[in-house]
Amino acid sequence: MVKRKLGALEKVEADLPNLQHKLRRDPKSYIEDFRAQHYQYESHREIFMAAPSSATDTGIISLRELIDFIAHVADSYPDITKDFGQELIDMLTQHHLLLEPELREKIVGSLVLLRKKDLMDSATLLQTLFPILISTPSKTLRALIFQKILMDLRSSNAKSTNHKLNRTMQTVLFNLVTSDRTSSKGLWAIKLTRELWKRQIWTDAKAVEVMKEAALAENEKVIVGGVRFFLGGDKEREEMEEESSDEEAIDIGRVKHQVGINKKTKKKARAVEKAKATVQRRERKKSQPHPLNFSALHLLHDPQGFAESLFSKHLQSSKSKLNLEQKLMVLQLVTRLVGLHKLHIMHLYSYFQKFLTPRQPSVTSFLASLAQASHDLVPPDDLEPLVLKIANEFVSEAAASEVATAGLNAIREICARQPLAINETLLQDLVMYRKSKDKGVVMAARGLLALYRDLNPEMLKRRDRGKDASMSLQHGEKQVKRFGAQDVGGIEGLELLEKWKEEERKRKRAEKGLASDEDDGEEEEEEEYNWDAWNVEDDEDSDDSGGWIDVQSDAEIDFSDSEDEDGNRPAKKAKQADQDKVAESQPENKLPSIATTRILTPADLAKLQELRQEAAVNALLPGTKRRGQTAEARHKDDALTAMEIEGLAALSAGKATREERIAHAREGKTDRSEHKSVTAKRKEKKEEQGKSTTNKEKARKKNFLMTLGKAKSKGKRSLVETRAVLRAHQDRQKRGGRRGNK
Amino acid sequence: MGASAKRKKEKQKDFQKPKLKVGKAKAKPENFTDTSFKAKSIVLNQQSLKLSAPSASSQFTHHVSLLSSKSDSQRRDSLAHLTTTIASRPVNSPLPQPVSLLLPSLLPLTLDANSGVRTNLLKLLRALPESDVADHVGQLLPYIRAGMTHLAPDIRVSSVEVLGWLVEVAGSEVVSCAGGWVKTLNCFLSVLGWHTEASSKWTTTESKPAASFGKAGAKGKPQVKVLSVLASFLDAGIGSETVDDDGDSDMDSGFPIRQFRSQMVPQTAAPYAYLNLFGKPRDEEGEMYETREDRWRVFEGRFLAAVEKGVEGARAEGGEVGRASAGVRKVLVEARG
Repeated sequence: MVKRKLGALEKVEADLPNLQHKLRRDPKSYIEDFRAQHYQYESHREIFMAAPSSATDTGIISLRELIDFIAHVADSYPDITKDFGQELIDMLTQHHLLLEPELREKIVGSLVLLRKKDLMDSATLLQTLFPILISTPSKTLRALIFQKILMDLRSSNAKSTNHKLNRTMQTVLFNLVTSDRTSSKGLWAIKLTRELWKRQIWTDAKAVEVMKEAALAENEKVIVGGVRFFLGGDKEREEMEEESSDEEAIDIGRVKHQVGINKKTKKKARAVEKAKATVQRRERKKSQPHPLNFSALHLLHDPQGFAESLFSKHLQSSKSKLNLEQKLMVLQLVTRLVGLHKLHIMHLYSYFQKFLTPRQPSVTSFLASLAQASHDLVPPDDLEPLVLKIANEFVSEAAASEVATAGLNAIREICARQPLAINETLLQDLVMYRKSKDKGVVMAARGLLALYRDLNPEMLKRRDRGKDASMSLQHGEKQVKRFGAQDVGGIEGLELLEKWKEEERKRKRAEKGLASDEDDGEEEEEEEYNWDAWNVEDDEDSDDSGGWIDVQSDAEIDFSDSEDEDGNRPAKKAKQADQDKVAESQPENKLPSIATTRILTPADLAKLQELRQEAAVNALLPGTKRRGQTAEARHKDDALTAMEIEGLAALSAGKATREERIAHAREGKTDRSEHKSVTAKRKEKKEEQGKSTTNKEKARKKNFLMTLGKAKSKGKRSLVETRAVLRAHQDRQKRGGRRGNK
Repeated sequence: MGASAKRKKEKQKDFQKPKLKVGKAKAKPENFTDTSFKAKSIVLNQQSLKLSAPSASSQFTHHVSLLSSKSDSQRRDSLAHLTTTIASRPVNSPLPQPVSLLLPSLLPLTLDANSGVRTNLLKLLRALPESDVADHVGQLLPYIRAGMTHLAPDIRVSSVEVLGWLVEVAGSEVVSCAGGWVKTLNCFLSVLGWHTEASSKWTTTESKPAASFGKAGAKGKPQVKVLSVLASFLDAGIGSETVDDDGDSDMDSGFPIRQFRSQMVPQTAAPYAYLNLFGKPRDEEGEMYETREDRWRVFEGRFLAAVEKGVEGARAEGGEVGRASAGVRKVLVEARG
């Protein structure tokens, strides 16, 4: 029904907002008025409950307005309204299908309001709203309820994590997903979990478990939702974090300055307070330790079981109803799990066999998945036939250049993860493609070559090995990793620290005028310096709690002796080796000894962090060699995409549209708005800040007609007059303007 | 000068003819206003294209449907039309539509903003056959109570009037139906501004109605009306019982079989309503109080003090209000008696 238009007089007579305002200011005096309105609400509710479907807009005041009114002032009269929330809940849960949309939304809004006023607890609210969310056919209501549920979860987790609520909610979602695997209702669980994951409200294994169950569901939408989460949820979270961290910076100085100039109002004062608070909050945030968030793939309880059941349920079984795109997504997840956790799935590699032909739609994704699925614990026997098949099907002179590129790239990616997957002859054959005519193929073949120069140069022909590789072969430095061999774990960037320390020591000696390699009694001094470094934190805090410093100095005695000897010996040896130019192979392996011989101080660790960052930045700079970047630069958690397999072919001229090419060209450049002169930019900036123009600019902008009279008379001036004017001008310049520079 | 030349050119511009070109649409004049519009739907108002005049019954139905019309006068006129139709029908002939169908469209009008509509509604209600109304008391009362606590004083007064009519027609049903006793009394107290002890801690003005928010009506008159209706309501609820005498006479008349009434087919619409088979469990306020003793017990416990105090205040005020309060007092005295 169309809402009846209200006349002005009617509004005055039945002015609920006005009454609400008065109630707010003085709840005790108006209690009888409120009681009357509560009776009114009760009778309206009675009318409504008697016939919920036929409830129409009754007169001036509708039930909707009454509900709104009571919800707003409920906190002032808790004893009168103690049943109000429950009544709303009943109304909503029993009749949400029949309610008119506005009333329905109002009831939901009022429930949330009651929650905000703490007249209702979160659990009740969520238990009311969630069943409606998954059962209602109304799209708008679903959207509203979803938003409200999310908001409530966020706000109840805002100050501190509400573990109890989270746990119950996660259990509800888990049950929703597991109870009926064929229904699409699990989508809501996915949506909610994903959103909360993105906002870092839920970061625990239980949320991941919900998504895991979703991925193992039987409804396609739910499966895809779950799989998508594992493939993209963490990236989304990172992006969200970056977004929130680079909010627009507040220039507190400027804000203060503006307040000094402009009219002083309460509003402005409040704005300053707010700005101050924001800045303070950000400062505090900065100093807080970074929350340790594991990615969803790492939080899985049983990755092997999960990957296996995903594979057998969605990929292997003939009953699975997924289409190719969805299957690819599942495959991507399975292979990522395999690669990340180094799992073994028996039939995974033979499964790939039938998809590896150039005619297969989106074969590059299959290739990328295969590469992802290979790791150094996969038996080479499993991978070798696949690599051979790729080489046969994709890489030949007859094949199109894109196909060959994709094949070569795929082989390279597989071999980067499992170098034993290819035999020597095949490798040497493939490397020959670097003489091809197509650029993409050349690049791909070179990539393979570079990879094996790094990993196992012996497999290459002698002339292909390159200088570095052959030299290291001669020295016997390169050792081929055998199947199953594991790297000895170390601290990332430790060699950088060692190098830096060495340099520091040399520099100090040079300052003192000593020979750089001589050893004498200044180690003690160094030790002193080292023990100062232990107290990096304490110096800042400037609190001398004598207790544990004493303990430290005890420890010093124990360690210093052994450190003196061990810490310097290897370094000395290395130098001697350098001086003598002994070309023989060094028996010691190059493992950094610094971690095994001394305890790293906080200062050391800080320096280590700094050096690591520096190295990372340097690696990104152009000009540095990019050897073996495919293996190292990419983080282990990042997925391999079809784009990378396609390689340069993706960029080849015929395929990209103009927009794509432009976008690609823009990619590398920093974003700048327009090409403008420096002056114009400065001027713009000035205008933006609300500053005035200079005298020069004013003169330039002056209306022509205003200058006309002066110009006319200028021509008629006598010589004497001109001289006087010029002199006056000179004087003025000396003084510095009409007012003078005093 | 340049300026004048410019001005000349501007003047010239007004008189230049627009050039017409072959194959191009004619240029729109400068002051052209675009009157085209887009609409998602076009609504055609219904037209009656019948040749014969509509029958009385179809007219009646039509006017019933017009009760939810947007315009005040339309509603009022339809009500008037319905009233005359009902009143002018032959004696003892049934209504064109049964009361149960009429009520859903009539009841929301108790809360109508327009006073003309409300007075006409009351007229229509009075015209309805009394015997039919008694069965629908439970349906009517929520609307009346909503009206009695309405923010607008006019609506409060007119719904008290409706209640007066209802008590007149079906007094025993009103006080004994579910929620009819306690809830309605609550509303009365709220209209009169008499408060129970628990709630009246903060009211300073005792005799005056505190529910004075909104535009105050005419001062004394409404209160007189409310008081008189309250008197009749209390009389129906806790007044001296006349029904028992009838029962005695009945018993006497059917001598050999004394209590045959309880074996007869019940005459009311919902004889087992007190069992509350299908409704929700009721609380104290919504309970049915079927006997006078029950009602008196509740009244004594919850309302007696407030009502007595209020009556005292009204008596002290004197004038018409004082006189009206005498009616209430009389009922109270008799009830105690």
